[in-house]
Amino acid sequence: MSGVLFRRTWAAQRIRLLVVVAGLAAWGFLLPVVYATFGKEMEALIQNAAFANILDIFSRFSGGDVFSIRGTVALGLVHPIALALVAIQVVGFAAAAVAGERQRGTLEVLLARPLERRALYATLLAATLLFAALTEAAVLGGIVAGALLFGVAGDLRATDIALCWLNAVALFGALGAISLAASVSFDQLGPAMGIALGVTIVGYAAEFLGTLWPTAAWLRVASPFRYFQPTRILAGTFEPRDLLVLGAVFVAAVAWAAWIFPRRDLAAPS
Amino acid sequence: MYRFSVDVITTEGLTKHYGPPRGSRGRSGGDAPIRALDDLTLSVQAGEIFGFLGPNGAGKSTAIRLFLGFIHPTAGRAHVLGHDVSRAGAALRGRIGYLPGGIALYDSLTGTQLLDYLGAFYPSPPVLRAGLVERLDLSARDLGRPIRDYSRGMRQKIGIVQALQHDPELAILDEPSEGLDPLMQRAFYAILDERRAAGRTVFFSSHVLSEVERVCDRVAIIRAGRLVALENVVELLARRRRHVEARLDGPVPALAAALAALPGVSAFEARGDRLAFGLDGDVAPLLRLLQGAPLADLTIEPARLEDAFMELYDEPAP
Repeated sequence: MSGVLFRRTWAAQRIRLLVVVAGLAAWGFLLPVVYATFGKEMEALIQNAAFANILDIFSRFSGGDVFSIRGTVALGLVHPIALALVAIQVVGFAAAAVAGERQRGTLEVLLARPLERRALYATLLAATLLFAALTEAAVLGGIVAGALLFGVAGDLRATDIALCWLNAVALFGALGAISLAASVSFDQLGPAMGIALGVTIVGYAAEFLGTLWPTAAWLRVASPFRYFQPTRILAGTFEPRDLLVLGAVFVAAVAWAAWIFPRRDLAAPS
Repeated sequence: MYRFSVDVITTEGLTKHYGPPRGSRGRSGGDAPIRALDDLTLSVQAGEIFGFLGPNGAGKSTAIRLFLGFIHPTAGRAHVLGHDVSRAGAALRGRIGYLPGGIALYDSLTGTQLLDYLGAFYPSPPVLRAGLVERLDLSARDLGRPIRDYSRGMRQKIGIVQALQHDPELAILDEPSEGLDPLMQRAFYAILDERRAAGRTVFFSSHVLSEVERVCDRVAIIRAGRLVALENVVELLARRRRHVEARLDGPVPALAAALAALPGVSAFEARGDRLAFGLDGDVAPLLRLLQGAPLADLTIEPARLEDAFMELYDEPAP
């Protein structure tokens, strides 16, 4: 770890991070407000025969809804808006962290300092994890604040919220580690960003399809999003195996990056 | 102060080949590796300014990248400040200052922020910054502006300051005077002279022959990845061909014959009272011969590194 690099990374990212965190907190805050204000009416409206199937389908997709406080928390975490905002900060940062510097030509200025490549990598990995932790905390913080303010937090348990946060950080920690591994493996931002976004978007699509279409259910095994099920956690049936799988993905990505980055030739930019 | 006694950089058969160009596999002859550097053996001694000369693509930047551990040798070894570069890491780079060719900087930072940031990685404080900033005419106002607003010359000046501000034992400078105006070039050469006087070593890559001639003690000339000459600049110039023109008060056939027979004289031409010829090596025998001759005018053009360089590059590729 390099304290100098970490402080510089923080300074360079803080404004974008602040915007993303504010957006996620607002998003999180909004959901309990919607639940408290319209939840019962919307549930009654949708429970009629015409919409029952749609409700069923969406309740099976990670259990996100605004008809219960648990469903509201789950929706806040797995909705594409929230996932995209977190991915912008975590996956986007990690994919550009090394390949972007390499493409701009500033990586060689940095590596000419007394800074080991592994220390550089470890610092950027720590920053990636910090961004994942802060963005997920922002969503959950917003949800809890909204729920408390509107008096609908009754069913929520602090330990479940903490487990949701941990599992979400593990998910984006794994995606961030894959993105950073891609970043240290390429000289250009394009391929690194392509891999990072590819894994994230294809993983999400596989989970989405596999949930809604039983024939494609096998796809879910390969999706990182399969291993983050906030509804289950909030129902008190958290599966430690999910954390183990995401942890294994994280370790594999870190091992690859720690092996390849110090061995790579950083030839003159062409 | 130590000087010309300790090797700061030594290489033995240092070689770097890259894989075949992308898309060339399968074509006839397309699988040959790119020989970026081939069998480079040289040593750079403490306290000297060492010129590393060659045109673009000759292998200069490849050698520098090997010294800094950015790339790994295909064969051979390199030691910098006593460390094997393939094993040395941060501790070695803490003793080196590096200016990359066409340096890229963090555009969002101001000059001061950049120097603070890059300097903060070193264990030693940036003791030379104030002096360098003053010599290179970087005002406090300049340093307070974002680098994105800098001209090319200003970027190069900041690049020089970041490389030297922590008083490194070895400075590796890749095309350092690019973008500097003549006044700033002179200030930069004076800085290099001071580095030498302080016993520091400078490895100086360039394709500007006049500046290598002006500042370097020794020069290595590299061509297509291979070292083709490694010489003391003064000795190299002393051996180069000078062009001599003499005008006499009248035709002196005996003197013309004696000059034509002088060792080192070539391409001799005599037209009436005018003599013109090339001269390799020492000028002393020529001056002895001309002593007392009825000379109206004498011109001896100084040898230029450019001539030596062009001579080496006119030869077939090794």
